[in-house]
Amino acid sequence: MDDLVTHSVCRFMVPFVQLYGVYLIFYGHLSPGGGFAGGAVVAASIILYALSFGRETASRRIASGVSQLMESGGGLWFILVGLFGILLGANFLANKAAGFYLGTPGQFFSSGIIVLLSFGIGIKVASTMITLYYNLSAEVDEHGNDI
Amino acid sequence: MEINPLIVVAVLLLVAYTFFYTPGGQIRNLLILFVLFIIGFTLVVAVSEMPLFGSIDAPAYNHVARRYITGTVPETGSINAVAAIIMDFRAFDTLGEATVLFTAIASVLASLGAQRRKQ
Repeated sequence: MDDLVTHSVCRFMVPFVQLYGVYLIFYGHLSPGGGFAGGAVVAASIILYALSFGRETASRRIASGVSQLMESGGGLWFILVGLFGILLGANFLANKAAGFYLGTPGQFFSSGIIVLLSFGIGIKVASTMITLYYNLSAEVDEHGNDI
Repeated sequence: MEINPLIVVAVLLLVAYTFFYTPGGQIRNLLILFVLFIIGFTLVVAVSEMPLFGSIDAPAYNHVARRYITGTVPETGSINAVAAIIMDFRAFDTLGEATVLFTAIASVLASLGAQRRKQ
């Protein structure tokens, strides 16, 4: 879509949308939001960028392979944080029992694994939506080449 | 304002009956009406057995809900009870949700991505 208005508005909006998504992910333990909502907002910003500037331009920012790696990495990060609880002598995905830093309720550095898990879930949801969009919007000709 | 579930079920059945109604087929229409009546009766009985909205005797309001409300701040250090439930008390459940996302993306890549690498 080669339109000056769309390009200008998207170039202006995308950073704010991404900042809001990251805020939702990292303040999930203090305010409404969390990994799922924040990841969806971050992915929406990338999809908005891809819609206005084209999939090729968006692929130069986040390639499809990078997105797929992030998708697996988010899940592995979640499991690694959970295994860390076993390493510290508690259950899988244990928080207080494993001795994670709980801090003062209401402060940013508090609530142990909740922030870490929100981070992993946010990455996973965002990259899942981006990968889905890339794959569903891709067109191939009869020989299997990208158009 | 409380909506009588009987009215809701009656309206739904009326819509369903007009949807399935065939002109001329008297026996078929009577049969449809009979089946819809049985379904509606079951639904009304099921709804009338449910506890009132917000009732303290509801089966869903058990010791688990009390534990979440009282234990969120001392056990997790979070002031958001929803985040504490999905990322701490039920983190294993969230891992299952992450698996759902992974399965979705794996199936999409298997069906659409394979088409691209065919040649």
